[in-house]
Amino acid sequence: MVSDSARVPRLRQWWQRLWDEDRELLTIFAILGVLFLIGMIALPAFRSPRNLFNVLRQAVALGLVSIGQTMAVLVGGIDLSVGSTISLIGVYTTGLMAQYTSLGAVSLIVLAMIVIALVIGLVNALVITRLHVAPFIATMGVGAIIQGFVLLYAKRPGGAIAPGWDYFAEGMIGPVPFPVIFLLVLVGIAFFFLRKTAAGRHVAATGGSEVIARLSGIQTRRVTAYAFMISAFAAALTGLFLTSRMGAGDPLMGGLNYDRYDLDSVTAVLLGGTRLGGGKGGVVGTLAGVLLVSLLNNLFNLADINPYIQWIIKGVIVVGAVAVYASRKPVEAK
Amino acid sequence: MTQSLVEMRGITMRFPGVTALDGVDFESRAGEVHAVVGENGAGKSTLMKILAGVYQPDRGEILLRGQPVRISSPHEAQLLGISIIYQELNLLPDLTVAENVFLGREPRGKFGLIDSRALELGAREVLHRLEVDIDPRVRLGRLSVSQQQMVEIAKALSLNARIVIMDEPSAALGGRDLDKLFEVIAALKKNNVAVIYISHRLAEVFQVADRVTVFKDGKVIGTHVVSEIDRPSLVRMMIGRTLSETFPPRGKQIGQEVLRVEGLCCGEKLTGASLSVHQGEIVGIAGLVGSGRTELAQAIFGARHIDAGEVRIKGKKVSLGSPRDGLRHKLGFLTEDRNLEGLVMGLSVRENAALPSLDRRQRFGFVDSRAEGRVVAEMAEGLRVRTPSLSQEVENLSGGTRQKVVLAKWLISGPEVLIFDEPTRGIDVGSKAEIWQLMRDLANQGKAILMISSELPEIVGISDQIVVMHRGCVVGEMPGETATEEKVMMLATYGESHGE
Repeated sequence: MVSDSARVPRLRQWWQRLWDEDRELLTIFAILGVLFLIGMIALPAFRSPRNLFNVLRQAVALGLVSIGQTMAVLVGGIDLSVGSTISLIGVYTTGLMAQYTSLGAVSLIVLAMIVIALVIGLVNALVITRLHVAPFIATMGVGAIIQGFVLLYAKRPGGAIAPGWDYFAEGMIGPVPFPVIFLLVLVGIAFFFLRKTAAGRHVAATGGSEVIARLSGIQTRRVTAYAFMISAFAAALTGLFLTSRMGAGDPLMGGLNYDRYDLDSVTAVLLGGTRLGGGKGGVVGTLAGVLLVSLLNNLFNLADINPYIQWIIKGVIVVGAVAVYASRKPVEAK
Repeated sequence: MTQSLVEMRGITMRFPGVTALDGVDFESRAGEVHAVVGENGAGKSTLMKILAGVYQPDRGEILLRGQPVRISSPHEAQLLGISIIYQELNLLPDLTVAENVFLGREPRGKFGLIDSRALELGAREVLHRLEVDIDPRVRLGRLSVSQQQMVEIAKALSLNARIVIMDEPSAALGGRDLDKLFEVIAALKKNNVAVIYISHRLAEVFQVADRVTVFKDGKVIGTHVVSEIDRPSLVRMMIGRTLSETFPPRGKQIGQEVLRVEGLCCGEKLTGASLSVHQGEIVGIAGLVGSGRTELAQAIFGARHIDAGEVRIKGKKVSLGSPRDGLRHKLGFLTEDRNLEGLVMGLSVRENAALPSLDRRQRFGFVDSRAEGRVVAEMAEGLRVRTPSLSQEVENLSGGTRQKVVLAKWLISGPEVLIFDEPTRGIDVGSKAEIWQLMRDLANQGKAILMISSELPEIVGISDQIVVMHRGCVVGEMPGETATEEKVMMLATYGESHGE
């Protein structure tokens, strides 16, 4: 029955459908693939396993915070306080670890940092849902407050880390860097959370339409709180990771200085196809977005490309990718 | 006599500027289909949203099986066994059918995780009950509107609620799907579920309902056993004029034809509309919500893509690709939702009024604000816009005044045809009369006016010619002088005249 002439339209149909449903992931992985091929063919230094792991290792800091940012964007918000949260966790951790270095103390410090982050996330959510401040402004304001606390505590880089704490960033399990495994496990958990738990599904539903979610019996305020708490939690992990990598704290480590983790994480999330405004997207795309940023930096460095040219190329890729995503036909205009 | 399952007593609900419900009593019994009818804005949907926990009434109480309850959220309503099919679709296009059906109540398996199999099977089961062939794994956005409507119904059924409210479930359904809906209603009835059925289509009321309650202006006019009442008396109850409204005298000098529409089609909502409007004439477009009235107006103005048919202005065929084209051909469009589409809330009266004509009021690329101020001031005075000053932000003005600002905005751009979509919705009675007088004055000045309205007295009271729409088509036309609300209502609800 199935002749060749019948198979071709079916293939096209299949492709059309895939494109309709998942053009974001297709696009980002296609860009990743092309860049990877360019590197493999054109740059001998790129091919070494050591360099490839380096690409992954470079992706960890941005990757961790971007997983959290995915939740904030997916629920219909944005979290611009992650940069200063990273700095806060960074300076407090190194400040405390400079004095207390026992295993028990380190565990306690980590636990305390996570609690602080969860409180920050909750405050963000309360300002958004109870005081009805738009997420953009709410998290920017909370971020400014946090940054103030950071600079009250530490004006310049300093502090120290406990012996062994550098394992977080530098440790190896066989040939694989520990932080890479840590990141991948976390992506796995986040993926599982969004797909398999009711709370995760409700995050996307609330972002899709707060009203519809509420009318469906979902407690949208609570869901928003989960999303922002996860975002702050992920920022705390990035902060902890950075202390491990740098061996010290810096009041500007999360932003303002070199890496703007707040804006960079939003960029990675959007590159990964999560819709600004919420409702659609996920962490697999975000991981691809993070890898894209990391891969680009690596290629630029190896090819010794002028940093200003780097800016231009990055800008073109971001605008181009998001334009492809925007070509999706809008759902029946009302 | 059966006991009432749910009883609402003395429910009063006020929104800013309107009393949506005024001391309403309503009850619904197990195993009974209770139809609720009334004109748009009569308060039916508001009452149902109170029952579903969306709104909290200002006054009144709700008894469930004789016990007073407080339904403070949609979540709580679900727990009490109340489910509702909303008038607007409440589904998320990016989720699958099954995920939509169980949104907020996902079946949990081990460790509180979603049980995908149970989710899919459950959805399959309800869809099967509805006898519709929809794959529960498909993303909702891929379905047609009527399929989505069936999913919405499936969602409500999956709750296995004791009280099922259906707010115009049939609006997007045709033929076979409608029959299935009625079968489902019959099955619910047999299972002793209380069904509350809101519809505009009276034929459906006689087909499925046991009792019918008529709403009018936020009050209950009466409740009757369906077998003891006939259509004309039901229509009379729905219309039953309560306010004596004063309409300006009709126009006398009808001039040449300005606007002519032939067989206009766009999408599913508008499938064939023709009409003509002359100078000095007010043509009223009547029809139920969803009959294609607004789509027609938008298409004429260029705000909607036209699939077939043509628009002629003064005999010349014009192509309208965007509202800008509409403006160029001297059309003005006063939208239904003044707050969202007609005015920019943060801007002042002057800035709003001058918006569509900014192009013509520029000098060297800058807005000539002196000229702007002068023109707007003249217009505001002519229309008697009550505002402390022209730099007042429109946010702080009343509905009637806002409507005048919208009118000023369009008049400044010098249109020959004005399209009004629900010109007096949400406006107090006094201002209504003023708006009507303004419309008549404009017609007498030679403008051609097209008016969409859900309010029958308004349609009959002010139109020189009435066009009635039903399901995307123009189904009838009559001169305003001899029209009655009954005639218009009959056409709008049945699509054809009944000789009763």
